Amino acid sequence: MADLLLAYQSLFAFVGINGLLALSVYTTLSCGQLSLANAGFMAIGAYTSALITLRASGVPFIAALAASALLPAIVAVLLGLPVLRLRGVFLAIATVGFGEVVRLFFVNWDYTNGAMGLVAIPQRTQLWTIALALALALFILGRLRGSRAGYALEAIREDETAARTMGIYTTGHKMAMLALGAALAGLAGGLEAHFTFMVAPGGYAFGRVVEMLVQAVVGGTAAFYGPVVGAAFLTLLPEILREAGARLGLAPGPFRLLLNGLILLAVILYLPNGLVSLPSRLRRRSRGAA
Amino acid sequence: MSLARRWSFSLLLLLAAACRDQSTEAPASGAGGTATASGGGATIGAALSLTGAAASYGALQRAGIQAGVEQVNGGGGPKLNVLIEDDASTKEQGITVFQKFINRDRVSAILGPTLSNTASAADPLAQQAKVPVLAISNTAPTGITDIGNYIWRDSLTEAQVIPGALKKAQEKLDFKTAGVLYGNDDVFTKAGYDVMQKALADLAVKVLGTQTFAKPDRDYNAQLTALIGLKPDVLVVSALADNASSIVAQARQRGWTGPILGGNGFNSPAFIKNAGAAAEGVMVGTSWNSLSQDPANQKFLEAMKKGGVNPDQFSAQAYTGVIILAEAIKQAGGKTGREDIVAGLAKVKDLDTPLGKFSFTPGRDAQHEPSVQQVKDGKFQIVQ
Amino acid sequence: MGQQVLNGIFLGSIYALFAVGYTLVFGVLDILNLAHQAVFMLAAFIALALVADAHLSLWVALPAAVLAGGAIGIVLERVAFRPLRGRADSNISGLISSLAMATVFEAIALQIFGPDISRFPPGTFPDRVVRIGAATASLLQLCIVGISVVLMAVLTLLLARSRLGRQIRAVAESPRAARIVGIDVDRAIAMAFFLSSALGGAAGVLFGLAFNSISPDVGRGVELKGLAVIILGGMGSVPGAVIAGFALGLIEVFTVAHLGSSFRDAVSFAVLFFVLIARPRGLFGRAAAREA
Repeated sequence: MADLLLAYQSLFAFVGINGLLALSVYTTLSCGQLSLANAGFMAIGAYTSALITLRASGVPFIAALAASALLPAIVAVLLGLPVLRLRGVFLAIATVGFGEVVRLFFVNWDYTNGAMGLVAIPQRTQLWTIALALALALFILGRLRGSRAGYALEAIREDETAARTMGIYTTGHKMAMLALGAALAGLAGGLEAHFTFMVAPGGYAFGRVVEMLVQAVVGGTAAFYGPVVGAAFLTLLPEILREAGARLGLAPGPFRLLLNGLILLAVILYLPNGLVSLPSRLRRRSRGAA
Repeated sequence: MSLARRWSFSLLLLLAAACRDQSTEAPASGAGGTATASGGGATIGAALSLTGAAASYGALQRAGIQAGVEQVNGGGGPKLNVLIEDDASTKEQGITVFQKFINRDRVSAILGPTLSNTASAADPLAQQAKVPVLAISNTAPTGITDIGNYIWRDSLTEAQVIPGALKKAQEKLDFKTAGVLYGNDDVFTKAGYDVMQKALADLAVKVLGTQTFAKPDRDYNAQLTALIGLKPDVLVVSALADNASSIVAQARQRGWTGPILGGNGFNSPAFIKNAGAAAEGVMVGTSWNSLSQDPANQKFLEAMKKGGVNPDQFSAQAYTGVIILAEAIKQAGGKTGREDIVAGLAKVKDLDTPLGKFSFTPGRDAQHEPSVQQVKDGKFQIVQ
Repeated sequence: MGQQVLNGIFLGSIYALFAVGYTLVFGVLDILNLAHQAVFMLAAFIALALVADAHLSLWVALPAAVLAGGAIGIVLERVAFRPLRGRADSNISGLISSLAMATVFEAIALQIFGPDISRFPPGTFPDRVVRIGAATASLLQLCIVGISVVLMAVLTLLLARSRLGRQIRAVAESPRAARIVGIDVDRAIAMAFFLSSALGGAAGVLFGLAFNSISPDVGRGVELKGLAVIILGGMGSVPGAVIAGFALGLIEVFTVAHLGSSFRDAVSFAVLFFVLIARPRGLFGRAAAREA
């Protein structure tokens, strides 16, 4: 049993980190904005904390982590100023562009060795560090839900124009959520950098933010903890398939990719509120049938 | 459920079923993560990128490893039991696979992982757990064997291959200026570029222009036109085989008739096949000499032919990795524990492998004679 | 310099053809179809299979692959977009749904063709080089530009003059009004998808021929550039996509020539950003890009 835990401790760590990332995408979704910049924010957080740890010896880990959350938040505000005026798809595209520019910046920056990235980062992140960060994030988002700010966010999501007419400071709220999401993504980046010993631009490409979005959506954006459920499910899935595949004699191959696509499609078509809505759906079904 | 929904759902199930049927193969020793059933001997883990961005290399490595295992297990001595797992070309799964190997399967040694980036994330775990790792394709100059004394590698870095190749090319071609093109988003090609830059400076060659491309790019016309316009004596390219063949073909189309010099990435039969006539005359620094008549290499070529796989550098280095591990066990007196293998690796000297006579450097990096080759009449030939 | 202009036109023609389909669907459904690049890829593979395995002539395989692309588009619309039509968050869910389909298509391509790069057999297209002034272009490149331009012209004419075109434009304007007037909205949308995916497929086949390098992830590189093109041209505007496609091709090539290739992709995104901030509806777009 002990070595089972040992064998899978990294898996739990990744569930936690992906949970944070999924939550970071959820923060902006909760007020109706689709921001796909989070891979870029994650990269900024990861590199910032890695550079601090590697170049400024003696700085405590907590300070590096704080920087990994703070710097992306600042960048988010700068990004948000011109970009938050855009609606829907246009905002999504602008943020995708931003994410790619960040990645290209790191690919071309010789100080961080370009594509080779920074290696030999001491492993300072522990499972409890990740758990604490995740708990903190959930706490913040949970508190937000029932609060006045939370209702404002919901109003903005439902109908932004109406919300503004009612006197809600929409730009401020959207900006705050963008910054919060950036901070969470940056924090996750910093935690991951100090867990996997290295950072490289390849890990922060467009595909990464797509993964975050998918995890948030599959888990369900109706509840604030939904994205974490989605992250857990989709992070564990390849390992479950690995074990199942080994027993069934399936060679590793595109089947896992296919399954990811089908699960996503099934959820978006038939379970639009995500996995967290499954229990209530089943309850309704059984009640209806009776 | 509405008719449309039912329809779409069935369509999807059909697609899923279709994909599932074809996904089982019958490789030489075991499918997926299942182990080859051999009695006793050592359990080795191989973390390969079988899906994801590096899937083509992982597949070649798997073929090489399976051929190597067959070779070793057929020759008496302790049997090798290799577990092959997919790391999906990501560092997360690389780490998970390493942990599984170390803590659940309790392997004696690990081969791989395919990508240098994954290695810098996963190897430290093996170092901490005192499990030997033999890298078979990591070419990053630093950050691999520096991790610690349990990390070894049999893949020559570009620093060990390119300077010699460029020197020999200059002897033959006597060039004074160069135009350089390299892939800046891949560790392999970027590391190669860093070495090329220094080697060219050491040879007092003036670099007239440098251009970059990204691995997914297919159109290099703009970069090539810009470089060719500067009228260098030679074009020096650091690219992987697929990009390399397109680059060479497009260079010729844009009217470049001068010499083209490439690094390790060009060392693949796929390069010649895909570049066609444009490959003629390209000079390459390679770590694996495909033309070597050594019996070790001939055995490797035969084994790959039997398995229906085109032999190339990735499979050669993977196959050699298995041979080296077997030798390490032999040097350790047939003992297959983790410490035994480490001790055995340290004793490997002038071992006959498809890569030539192989030893480790004091820094646990690979040491064997690289070669310089040129494409003549559609085939690689050694440049004397 | 002339050579770089040719390089830019050549690259731009493929960007333009790809973007035209992308923007058509957005104009009609207000949804970004992220599976467009997967259709691009599948059509290239279909053409390859027809030429390499079924030994058909390229001149048969090309139209066949284009039609196949269109058919895939119809399936795509039925499976991934139609069920979402009533929903409030249809653009986000449509985006995700198309993403799911793209993943499925890529997995299928991986299963059938493997991850390695596939190429057309040598001799599929005559290997001739043409001189234009001081510059060279291959016969293939000229044909590709020609075919792209013809296809885009056909689409523009179709949208402007034919009955189907009018129906599609009506639905793009307002689906409800179109239905009231008696237009079969479902059919119009399906046909829009057919056209969009057929053109995306054509872009894929031509790309596959042009660079002779087809793999299941070949669409991903073009996808992001395609976004820059449709933003620059204006979402929903076909002529905008054409002009922006050529423009981006030329911009990229000249960035490489004068600034260096490391800046090339960054410049595309800089253009994207600048347009979104300064003039979000792009050159010719009509869609409202800002909040009221």
